[in-house]
Amino acid sequence: MWPGRRREVPKLLLKRRALVWARSIALLALVAACGRVGGDDGVAAMRARGTLRWGGDVQGGEPYVFQDPARDRLTGFEVEIADALARRLGVRAEFVQNDWQTLIPSLERGDFDVALNGIEVTPARRARVAFTRPYYAFSETLVVPRSTSGVHGLTDLHGRRVGTLEGSLALDLLRAEPGIDVVLYEGVEEPYLDLERGRIAAVLLDNIIAARYGLPRPTLRAAGTVGDGVYAIAVRPDRPGVLTAVDGALAAMIADGELRGILERWKLWDDRQGTVAASAPIPVDAAGRAGLTLAHLPLFLRGAAFTVVISLLAMAIAIVGGLVLSVIRRYAGPVSRGAAGLYVEVFRGTPVLLQLYVLYYGLAPILTLDAFTAAVVGLGLNYAAYESELYRAGLEAVPVGQTEAALALGMSRWLTLRRIVLPQALRVAVPGVANDFIALLKDSSLVSVITVVELTKQMTITAVDVRGWLGPGILCAALYLALSYPLSRLARHLERRLAPARA
Amino acid sequence: MTVVSVRDLWTRRGDSDVLRSIDLEVQAGEIVAVIGASGSGKTTLLRALNYLTPFTAGEVEIAGHRLRPGMSERLDSAALRSVRTRVGMVFQSFNLFPHLTALENVIEAPLRVLGLERAVAMERGQTLLARVGLGEHARAYPDRLSGGQQQRVAIARALAMEPVVMLFDEPTSALDPRLVGEVLAVVGDLATAGQTMVIVTHEMWFARRVAHRVVVLAEGRIVERGTAEEVFERPLTTETRALLGRGEGR
Repeated sequence: MWPGRRREVPKLLLKRRALVWARSIALLALVAACGRVGGDDGVAAMRARGTLRWGGDVQGGEPYVFQDPARDRLTGFEVEIADALARRLGVRAEFVQNDWQTLIPSLERGDFDVALNGIEVTPARRARVAFTRPYYAFSETLVVPRSTSGVHGLTDLHGRRVGTLEGSLALDLLRAEPGIDVVLYEGVEEPYLDLERGRIAAVLLDNIIAARYGLPRPTLRAAGTVGDGVYAIAVRPDRPGVLTAVDGALAAMIADGELRGILERWKLWDDRQGTVAASAPIPVDAAGRAGLTLAHLPLFLRGAAFTVVISLLAMAIAIVGGLVLSVIRRYAGPVSRGAAGLYVEVFRGTPVLLQLYVLYYGLAPILTLDAFTAAVVGLGLNYAAYESELYRAGLEAVPVGQTEAALALGMSRWLTLRRIVLPQALRVAVPGVANDFIALLKDSSLVSVITVVELTKQMTITAVDVRGWLGPGILCAALYLALSYPLSRLARHLERRLAPARA
Repeated sequence: MTVVSVRDLWTRRGDSDVLRSIDLEVQAGEIVAVIGASGSGKTTLLRALNYLTPFTAGEVEIAGHRLRPGMSERLDSAALRSVRTRVGMVFQSFNLFPHLTALENVIEAPLRVLGLERAVAMERGQTLLARVGLGEHARAYPDRLSGGQQQRVAIARALAMEPVVMLFDEPTSALDPRLVGEVLAVVGDLATAGQTMVIVTHEMWFARRVAHRVVVLAEGRIVERGTAEEVFERPLTTETRALLGRGEGR
């Protein structure tokens, strides 16, 4: 559903990525040191520890789990549910931060006792983990621009672009409807922003999200409700004791009205919630288990093709832009030189992710680029800064005697640059350009933040679908290697051939 | 006919004057050698003649064009180009274009500055390379040639513009001693052919053999000038004597 709801996007995004890495490394160490946590059904370990460890993503945003800016602590209706459950189990609730997309794998590995963070009960998830009875019932709200008429359901959207979040129930619903072009987002604000800009025709997301992030926008309206689902607490299938204990506590909360009280406080209570009380725990159902199959290969190849096309186009922009910048920085007047220098410092000194965000979302009110163009232009502009430094070093490596000899022959400054200096400067720069292209090939994975589905994005989509990261990860890595290895061989070859310059 | 006329030329680097009130005339067909100790301003004088080194005061008339103090590479590029097209220059460090073959080095400017037909330029280039004894090396890149060969290509490159005057800036100083002869032989051939030349050199024997006139520079001034015989046989100043390795008493 929402692998990261963020309002202060770039900073949080980076923090999140850093966090994911830091956590992954820490966990590797932990797992190596202790092996799997606990040998019994988990309840004894929980009691001995005195905590109910629950996993969620603080970047999920309001109203689920989020940082209370005023009091520097976590808040949200799920925080209150976790606290209540822990109290009923006689322990303390301990929040474990985890990237939303990997909550289920982390739960399986034993990072926490339960995952409790707007996790929709879908067949794919039921294939991997067990669920308590639901604690919240939601529906999928279809949001369209106020100016749109004649859209009442998914069937009215054939051939149109519809936005949703990766790994969500809404995505399953959209996929089940043939002829819809699904656009995947990583945050909850962005699909509604794009909807306002006309980049997509509609957004399908959980009614909580639509109510908080979509419908407050005056230009948007709800076009209807499409299917419904429930949030439940995920538990490892080999911990039946934990499932029974937590589900029992939840049942008690429902019975004595505590859950209703929490939901009402968060203005989340509606008539649908009445049905929740009658439900039961949801066991593992292996029928929904899907694996990585040969059918995924064309998808990955398509992603790889996108990666190559984006990288090639971006590199073309980077090379031309880098040339212009480097020549300006070496030969132009002080004002142009300063401007070009500032460009290089800004584009090298800020994250490319931030630049992509600004280009795609930030500039949208003035300049509405489609995602593909924004990806190519954003990466191209960023890499132009790096290329210009490379060429500048190349230009500086050409002895001044070369320019003097050309000028002494009556050649103009431009002719001297074009025929004598640049060919030598570029010869010096060629191996660096090949290396930069390899880096660009990998950096192009960042454009997934602006909804472009390239190789890495295809990998994460598939990983969520098949509930496994290893297979898709290896396939993705193999494709990147297949692309970059010949290039790095070429770079090394060029280095050897061109390094002893003909001077 | 006067090809080069320098009047009251001053150049300045930082706080010091490099050249102080230089006057010099070179007639068509004349060969002038400029000698002097290191740092005396010989190279600066030569480079002022095609404005590779700007000057601060005075005037240079060369190949029918006038150079003024304070000209700029950018703003006066047309004027500078018309001078440089008519004035050939050979550098101490050859400065061949390493990414072009010997022949390409020679024909680059004729093709792109003079606008010669490719076939015409190629023929001119081949002829000139043959003239400097490198007819067989037309397709060689500079890094495949010895220093002497490179300098001979550089001479052919300058000649390809059919300059009215050739400027040589210590053309043999960067060469292995055993390669000096082949380059000077080419310069000697040019002298025989009547090419107007200004040669900055340390090779006194060569200056004496080919130069019609010799000027001696010391600390930015011309301290002595005359025919080669006058300057080398009967030096008048202590600076010239010191330069020629002859003590005061001899």
